[in-house]
Amino acid sequence: MSTNSYPIIETKNLEKTVTVADGNLTILKAVDLTINRGESIAIVGASGSGKSTLLGLLAGLDTPTMGSIKLNGEELTGLGEDGRAEIRNKLVGFVFQSFQLMPRFSALENVMLPLELRGDKQAKKTATDLLRRVGLGHRLDHLPMKLSGGEQQRVALARAFVSQPAILFADEPTGNLDSKTGEQIIELLFELNQEKHTTLVLVTHDSALASRCQRSVHIDAGRLV
Amino acid sequence: MNRLGLALRFLRRDARHGELTLLVLALIIAVTSSTAISLFADRLQRTMNLQAAEFLAADLVVSSSSLVPQEWLDKAKQARLKQAKTAEFSTVLIENDELLLVSVKAVSKGYPLRGHLKTMVDLDAQEVLQQQGPKRGHAWVDKRVLSALKLNIGEPIMVGEKTLLLSHIISYEPDKRGDIYSLSPRVLINDADLSATNVVQPGSHVHYFFQFSGEETAIKYFSAWLKPLLGVSQRMMDVHDDRPEIGGALSRAERYLGLSSILVILIAGVAIAMSSRRYSERHFNSTAVLRCLGCQQRDILLIFLYQFFIVGLTACSVGLLLGWCSQELLFHLLRSLLPATLAQPSLMAVLLGFLTGFAILIGFSLPPLLRLQRVSPLRVLRRELEPLNSSAYLVYGLALVLIAGLIFQYTDDLKLMLSIIGGGVLALVLSAALLYGILAQFRRLLPRMGLSGRLGLQNVLREPKASVTQILAFSITLLAMLLSFTVRNDLLSDWQQQLPDDVPNYFALNVFPNQVPAFKQQLKQHQVPAANFYPIIRGRLVAINGIAVQQIVSKDSQGERATHRDLSLTWGNRLPDDNKTLAGQWGEAKKGEVSIESKLANSLKVSLGDRLTFSIGSEQVQATVTHIRSVQWDTMKPNFYMVFSDKTLEGYPTTFITSFYLSDDRKKLLNGLVKQFPAVTMLEVDAMLKQIKMILGQLTAAINYLLYFALLAGFSVLFSAIYATLDQRMTDGALMRTLGASRKLLRRVHIMEFSMIGLMSGFMAVFMYQLILFGLYTYVLHLDFYFNALLSLVIPLLSAVCVTLAGLWGVRATVNKPPMRVLMDH
Repeated sequence: MSTNSYPIIETKNLEKTVTVADGNLTILKAVDLTINRGESIAIVGASGSGKSTLLGLLAGLDTPTMGSIKLNGEELTGLGEDGRAEIRNKLVGFVFQSFQLMPRFSALENVMLPLELRGDKQAKKTATDLLRRVGLGHRLDHLPMKLSGGEQQRVALARAFVSQPAILFADEPTGNLDSKTGEQIIELLFELNQEKHTTLVLVTHDSALASRCQRSVHIDAGRLV
Repeated sequence: MNRLGLALRFLRRDARHGELTLLVLALIIAVTSSTAISLFADRLQRTMNLQAAEFLAADLVVSSSSLVPQEWLDKAKQARLKQAKTAEFSTVLIENDELLLVSVKAVSKGYPLRGHLKTMVDLDAQEVLQQQGPKRGHAWVDKRVLSALKLNIGEPIMVGEKTLLLSHIISYEPDKRGDIYSLSPRVLINDADLSATNVVQPGSHVHYFFQFSGEETAIKYFSAWLKPLLGVSQRMMDVHDDRPEIGGALSRAERYLGLSSILVILIAGVAIAMSSRRYSERHFNSTAVLRCLGCQQRDILLIFLYQFFIVGLTACSVGLLLGWCSQELLFHLLRSLLPATLAQPSLMAVLLGFLTGFAILIGFSLPPLLRLQRVSPLRVLRRELEPLNSSAYLVYGLALVLIAGLIFQYTDDLKLMLSIIGGGVLALVLSAALLYGILAQFRRLLPRMGLSGRLGLQNVLREPKASVTQILAFSITLLAMLLSFTVRNDLLSDWQQQLPDDVPNYFALNVFPNQVPAFKQQLKQHQVPAANFYPIIRGRLVAINGIAVQQIVSKDSQGERATHRDLSLTWGNRLPDDNKTLAGQWGEAKKGEVSIESKLANSLKVSLGDRLTFSIGSEQVQATVTHIRSVQWDTMKPNFYMVFSDKTLEGYPTTFITSFYLSDDRKKLLNGLVKQFPAVTMLEVDAMLKQIKMILGQLTAAINYLLYFALLAGFSVLFSAIYATLDQRMTDGALMRTLGASRKLLRRVHIMEFSMIGLMSGFMAVFMYQLILFGLYTYVLHLDFYFNALLSLVIPLLSAVCVTLAGLWGVRATVNKPPMRVLMDH
């Protein structure tokens, strides 16, 4: 961790409750977490422990029931959906377990999208370069359906890094891949992370993967332990 | 494996998660509208038939110049039909030294079987409804008889050798029929007094009308049985062919109702096809799991068929109930227009609504359902494995067969049905090709567009097949609505034109040539607008190109009827205003030429250049056909089958006819006219006019309501189409927002996409619509076609606005729901 680092993510007393058939279910409770700029952190826990929910809240994809979340010093809970979308576009990149590519967009169009949303005129060139960097220069015009799982996750990685995000959220990025392809993706993820000086927040239940991060936090039944 | 049990359980789960909502809603709309229309149309038609039957005083009438065999009447009795008989003949009455030619009608017990008579006891008294004709020993007369023979109510009147008591003035006789040009005032007597009059002798000219009424099926059965037995001098009439002014309106309205039904069903079918496609696509994954767990293709198919059967049964029952309520509501809303006694809804119509519902469900939803059985179990591992599409022949074939069947049911015309289907398929293929072409051209616009515009347009262009299908579905819906609306407007304006407020309600017949100027002067003085005065000579068509007509005409044809009696012949260079030239020229016709009405010409197979021979009195006159024209018989103005050129009929005794309108407050003028021109016959058609207007009023209201059903079905298509692609839109929207797109941007993308689809659907619909009208006007109606530029702009814009608004409403969740939840759900 560098000495001139400062908190890029800060949560206080974060809580998420959802309504289910027989009352309320608390998924997260009293989560206080600080992540510094440039840090790589793994959120580790068993299935259903609440790690993906925490990731969604940290990334501003969902709203907490209670507590506060600051992203780069800006309070997320006070913002509306559009305000959070703007922050996501400026600060955040995502990699999902199920890739979540736009099925009707080509590989290139998927990667261009975040830049286009920013109004970047160089979107096509930047996206093409990055796709070549992840080894998909020959697959630019393919639809996600025509790509293998590993290739789809490479497109997702390219899409996540193309906008030079300050923070990258990765939710079980190797969960849908075989171990060899998974390793390749992780290599690529950490390489890009270093190249781009990104803060990495990784959700996983794979302890080997977690150990590659600078820090791990464990979550159990909605609480950090 | 208990497939039914499984189907039920799956269905319950699906229902709990709202998977079936859209399909069920679409089906309910389809069944509700088809049942409501089918019930409403059937009931209205039967109510109108009941009313129109009043004009016949029965459901079926056999006219005959002699008594009919007893076997016929026994057969009718067997079929549980009510019967009545009237005998009509002309005779001269002499009272108080005055002579009057009257038309006597002797009526049996039971007359009138439908409708009622209206009478008064003196000229100022109130009208009284009469369910039966005069009692034995009584006579009822037209008021003209009283004035002409200087008689009063309560006095005796001699009909032939029988003295009867003059007890009522007839103010309304439901089945007053016949050639109005030779109409004599009526004297109504009881059948039982007929023989005592001694007027009817063997060989005397009597016309009998045997009237029947009863259950529709019994009437149909009896009429089918009787038809082949009818002799040359016998004719069968029902509500459709007796009165052209009512028959025409009825059959046009029936055709409209039928057309609307087909259109609503077609639109609803599109909605069902779309929603069942979505349903089946959403079940690919679970089906793959079922296949993995050992279900065979047959099991899968049966499980889903059971489900659809149960869904169909439930939705059809609900639709039936709602349809029933809707038609009750319609009748309730229309109660002021309708007669007090309504025909009851028929079980057949209920059944038809139900069956139609199932037919739509099968025709439009079976193909996507069949796809489910082809889902590969491998899909559990590879989600991208899509089952093969059902064969295109099957998908479109089933729906086509269904629509063809419905069209055939309503038109009863195989050739027409085949041309509609053939034309429709051709139009669809051409439209699809055109749309693919347009979409390909749009691709060129992409680099020049802003982000939201580009993303929106890309959404349309990415899957051209899906977009073309969606645009075609919308345009067919719009086209159906446009056609329905146009036919409605044409129908209404036609009726409005036919019966404006000042439509003539009096005919003046037998005006002698030397009286015409004075008569015109009288009318002018009182500012009564009158139609032209037409000269009339009575004559009969006897030969065509030298061959006797009886050898040419086919039995029961219009030609046969028109040549069996004297026609009113007229002449002049000017034809009645509403006549339209179909062939030949008129205006400067030379002596010896004749213009013939087109339908009669068709029936007699007469064309230009044919030579017609007429017998007038004891002489024969020949004329060559140089003009064929269409005639609007229902305008209540004098109209003629035959119009001769000037001077052709010179020298024969002539009288004149005209018609005019007198409002209620000016009817007293009539007394003056009658006094001044005692020999002129004044014929009042007010009661009949009122009845016709009432029927047309009901039809107009009904037709307006039917349009709302078409609109409702149209909206169901709109929402089905939007919901059909909602899942994809939800994921796309959530991903875009995850990547930082603002809601404003997403909304703009959606607006772009939906307005493009709406606009193109609108243009396509207007294009097809104008094409159909062009064909119709140019080749069928032979009228000038005008391109409606305003409509061509307004419809696409309106369509864009509607589709966009509905689309934004449909996808509002993609904009508002937190993206995390969407991504987890999908």
